[in-house]
Amino acid sequence: TGGHTTEILRLLSCLSESYSPRHYIFADSDKMSEAKIRSFEQKRAETSSNSQFTLDRIPRSREVRQSWTSSVVTTLYSILYSLPLTYKLKPDLILCNGPGTCVPVCLSALLLGLLGIKRAIIVYVESICRVETLSLSGKILYYFADYFIVQWPDLKEKYPKSVYLGRIV
Amino acid sequence: FRFKESLAEELRGADLVISHAGAGSCLETLEEGKPLIVVVNEKLMNNHQLELAKQLHRDGHVLCCNCSALVETLQSMDLSTLKPFPPGQPEKFALFLDKVVGFQ
Repeated sequence: TGGHTTEILRLLSCLSESYSPRHYIFADSDKMSEAKIRSFEQKRAETSSNSQFTLDRIPRSREVRQSWTSSVVTTLYSILYSLPLTYKLKPDLILCNGPGTCVPVCLSALLLGLLGIKRAIIVYVESICRVETLSLSGKILYYFADYFIVQWPDLKEKYPKSVYLGRIV
Repeated sequence: FRFKESLAEELRGADLVISHAGAGSCLETLEEGKPLIVVVNEKLMNNHQLELAKQLHRDGHVLCCNCSALVETLQSMDLSTLKPFPPGQPEKFALFLDKVVGFQ
């Protein structure tokens, strides 16, 4: 969604051509991200020959401030969708930055890894908006991501297993 | 104006920006190098949005006030005290990621 998409596209901006093909997954309720992604990929295609990408939508895991119990239900529903999608894509690397949408995808990838089907490296970058506290996605994925990146020193102190590279978006 | 794709054009033409504490608004404005007054909505005090606004204020990049103090702030502000906001460095992320996946 919105800010998350802008941030992740900035993260992608300096990645080499080797990071291909790129599979974008976002919430079905998201109206603006598709346009941003296509615009980004179009500019990229102007300078690199290898520009394969796909777009997939999954049900949104959780609305802002949705209650705990109903969040569990909607997240499970999202996992039902993301499991076959992740299985189909079999990513080597998952890059995510915080919308609820990323949790079911990462959990699906973890499951596929546990089952010996495909082991993906999970890299989570917490949003630049998060200075003192982690988002809910961050609190969950801090324990499951291979690399958990924060953008402010306070968070690095609170979450010692995290990686601090300064502001990267 | 409701959901314009980007305010970049408007920002470039502005001398001063007054905004809510939304991250996108704050960062876009600072990246254009424009002075920014962030108006904080007290009714949303528990909103994590405030974290970034508070930090930017602590670091001297923005002026901060609540709705009722806005007029006073505009009258007494000294924009020369604001520090420029250096851009983020996605290159550092790219370097890190290359090491992680084994591209050297």
